[in-house]
Order: sequence, then structure tokens, then C-alpha cells
Amino acid sequence: MKIRTSEYMIRETFLSLKRNNWMTVASVGTVAVSLFIFGMFLILAMNMNKMVASLESQVQISVYLKDDLSKGDRKDIETDIRGMQGIATVKFVSRDEALQRFKERLGDQKFLLDALGDANPLPDAFEVTVTHPDMVRTAAEAIGNFKGVESAKYGQDVIQHLFDITRLIRIMGFTLMALLAGATLFIISNTIRLTVFARRKEIAIMKYVGATDWFIRWPFLLEGMVLGFLGGVIAVVLLNSVYSAIVVKVYSTLAFFPLIQEYPFLIYVTLLILVSGMCIGALGSTISLKRFLRV
Amino acid sequence: MIHMKDVSKIYENGAVALDHVNIDIDKGEFVFIVGASGAGKSTFIKLLLREALPTEGSLTVNGRNVVAMERQEVPYLRRGLGVIFQDYRLLPEKTVFENIAFAMQVIEAPRRMMQRSVNSVLDIVGLREKYKCFPSQLSGGEQQRVAIARAIVNRPAIVIADEPTGNLDPETSWDIMDIFTRINSAGTTIVMATHDKTIVDTMQKRVIAIEDGRIVRDEQRGGYGYED
Repeated sequence: MKIRTSEYMIRETFLSLKRNNWMTVASVGTVAVSLFIFGMFLILAMNMNKMVASLESQVQISVYLKDDLSKGDRKDIETDIRGMQGIATVKFVSRDEALQRFKERLGDQKFLLDALGDANPLPDAFEVTVTHPDMVRTAAEAIGNFKGVESAKYGQDVIQHLFDITRLIRIMGFTLMALLAGATLFIISNTIRLTVFARRKEIAIMKYVGATDWFIRWPFLLEGMVLGFLGGVIAVVLLNSVYSAIVVKVYSTLAFFPLIQEYPFLIYVTLLILVSGMCIGALGSTISLKRFLRV
Repeated sequence: MIHMKDVSKIYENGAVALDHVNIDIDKGEFVFIVGASGAGKSTFIKLLLREALPTEGSLTVNGRNVVAMERQEVPYLRRGLGVIFQDYRLLPEKTVFENIAFAMQVIEAPRRMMQRSVNSVLDIVGLREKYKCFPSQLSGGEQQRVAIARAIVNRPAIVIADEPTGNLDPETSWDIMDIFTRINSAGTTIVMATHDKTIVDTMQKRVIAIEDGRIVRDEQRGGYGYED
């Protein structure tokens, strides 16, 4: 496109945004709200994913042994476990050691154990970690069937719950996003329709003197993209400040919580949202141009 | 310039607007298209501009095959045609100069040419002094002269005028016809649809009369031929 034509397009675009001031505000606002909610769900879902992954990678299998095993039996079991694929570490925890740990964990309330007297109800155990989180389940099931093993447990319930919650968030996010995208498209295409209507005489003249279709379309397409972009900018500013505030808050109380680091994560989110905004804007005007601009 | 062979136009509602029409218009001709409202004059003009396609037949305008033309070629067809309407169709928020320059802007003509070309067509229509005025500050005749200036600023080979004097008093109409005569003598083909009996009778140019979609008369140096 020639430079003076681009000048003309840009001037026309901003003139039109000014002329439709209220529709412009409404469109930008709708885009901003939609993209903000989209961004929140995105951030939430990605953090949940990260949390699941980090929990899974920390998951270890506790292999509880039967009470009456000889040292040799124990050694055999250990060798068998080490011989399996995907096993990272195997550590023996004697029942005495386990009791000691339990006491420490109880802290001030360890007097509760006084009721047991000298008896130790805990079994000997191996603590097994795997190289890949998704092997936890199969490894645990296999080890649980070994002779001399009472049971092999891992935090499957917690992980299953997290999975379910993540899936729910994703589904809710997608549904809400689809609805919001629909609303946004509707309002942008309406704004562009008003612009087309306001300029229908001009468009008719442009056609008669031989303007090309794209020459006529560009200012409208640009207008939609600018609407989407402006909405995106507002959403991005909000998202950045909200997420930074959350990160500060969480780290000051729960330092170990596996939140995604602000940078470069927020930069990706920002880019994604700005691009989505412009795409939605362009799509909105395309819909309108298809329906109302017979060129 | 314009070759229409066996052209029919039947609208979707079944109305026959043109019925096997044959017209040949050569370069530099001045042609009146006459006929009652609804006779097919508007359809004829729409076909030339490719606002509508013929149902059958072949049509060449300015060397371009209008029937077989791709959509994206249409703007280039129209750049060779200058169009003038009964209701002027000027943009009210643009000045006289801007209204004319607009026609150059949208076909991405070089800017340095703009000033010169606009001034030269303003001279032709005699509105050089009024270049800063808005259409609302002009009389009907002056507005139509601006429309003519806009139609010829890109130097079209054919000027198509649809009832250009329909809203004007007789005296002003003659000013407009005078401008057309001058444009025509510079070599531009003029096709003008009109109801104005006096103008047609006085000008003694070629007259094509359309009635119910058919050509009923095609005379060099003809008259309006109807008493209405």
C-alpha cells in the first residue's frame, strides 16, 4: 500500500472511532472485560497445571512391608523394585525411624502417642520415587502385588482432585470464553455496521469512481482491529497488576506455593491477549462488512 | 466504446427490463437515451457500470468484456467511466475541492497531480473561485457542475449521465449541457439518459429510444419524438 493511502486509511479510522464515540467506548469496554476474564482463566488454568505437575513430580510411593519379613526377604523386595523401569530412588525407612518422624510431625501434640506405650504400630517401609510422574500409578500397582508387601500408596486422591478441578476450570473457562467471544464479536460488528451506515454515501461514491474493494474495506477492518487492540491493552494492564498483587500476597504467606513466575509468563499472556483482541476485532468487522458492505 | 449485443436483463421477480438490445456507441459520440420511467434506461446504465449483469448477451465497455469480468476488475472498468446523477451525490462535509480530489484519492492517484487536475476541471465547469465552498453553500446547478468535475477529473473515456438536468431549471440545464458539449468536443464519449424534450430536440444528437425494454428508435441527429 502506498504511503499516502496508509495516511488516508489511518486518518479515516480514527475519525470514525471519534464519530462513534459511545459505541467505541462500549466496544472497547466489552473487549476489555472479555479478554480480562479470558486472561484470568488462562492464568488460573496454567497455574493449576503447574501445581499438578509439581505435586506429581514430588509424589513418592510408600511401600509398606508385612511385619514378619526377614532381612533377606526385605533385600529381595528392594532389588526387585530397583529392577523395575522408571524407578529413581528407593529408600528404606525402618519402623523406628517412621515413628520418630511421626513424633516430630505431631510436634506439641506428640503426647498423643504416649497412649501407645512402647508399642510401635508402624510397619517397615520403602520410599520409592519415579523418574516420570505419569509412572506413579503403574509402579505403585505393580509393587503392591509383590510378595511381602502389605500395600503401596501414593497421594492419588489429592492428585485426582486437582485433576478434576483443573478440568472443571478449563471447561468453565472455555464455555465462558465462547459466550464472551460471541458477545464481543456481536458488539464490534455492530459498531462497524454503524460506521458503514454512517458512510454509505461515501462508499457508494467510492465504488462509482473505481475504488478497489480493499481500499474501501481497510478503514473498517482497521477500526475493528483498533477496538480490539484498545480493549486488549486495558485487559492486559488489569491482568498484570492483579497477577503481580496475587504473587506478592501468596509468596508472603506461602513461600513454597508453586505459582508461575511473573516473567516471562506475563509477557506471553500479554502478547496472546493483544493478538486475540486484534483478531476478534478484525473478525467482528469482517462479519459486518460481509453483511452490510456489498462492494 | 460500447458494444451491446442481444442483451436481455430479466430481474429475479420476472420483470423484463431489457429485451434483446443491440447498441453500438463509438468513441466521441454524444448519445441521448430517452424513454418513459421504467422503460429500461436505468438498467441500461447499471449494465454499463456493471452494477448489474445481463441475463444474456454480450457487452463490451471501453474494450473490457463486462460479462466475463472478474469482481476485482470492476473498479478498473469504472475508472474509465465518469458517472453523474440527478441528485449530484456530493459529500456534504467536504469542500468543493475535496469532493473532486476524493475521486483521485480513492484510486490512489499521485498527490502532486491532484492540485493541478482539480484546478483544471474546476476551470472547465467554471467554479475555480468556489473551491473552498461546501455543497450546502452552492446552488443546484453549481452542485451538479461539481459532480461533473468529479466525474471527469480522472479523464474517463466515457461520461455516463443519468438525468443530470432532472432537478434543474431550464436555464441552468443549458449551462450543464454546454459543459457536456465542451467535454464531448474534447473527445469524450457522452451517454445521457434524459426526460428533457427541449434539450434533446435542440441538441440534434444521436437519440436511442427505449420502450418496454426494447429499442424502438435509433437516429443520428434525432429529436425526443414523444409528446409528453
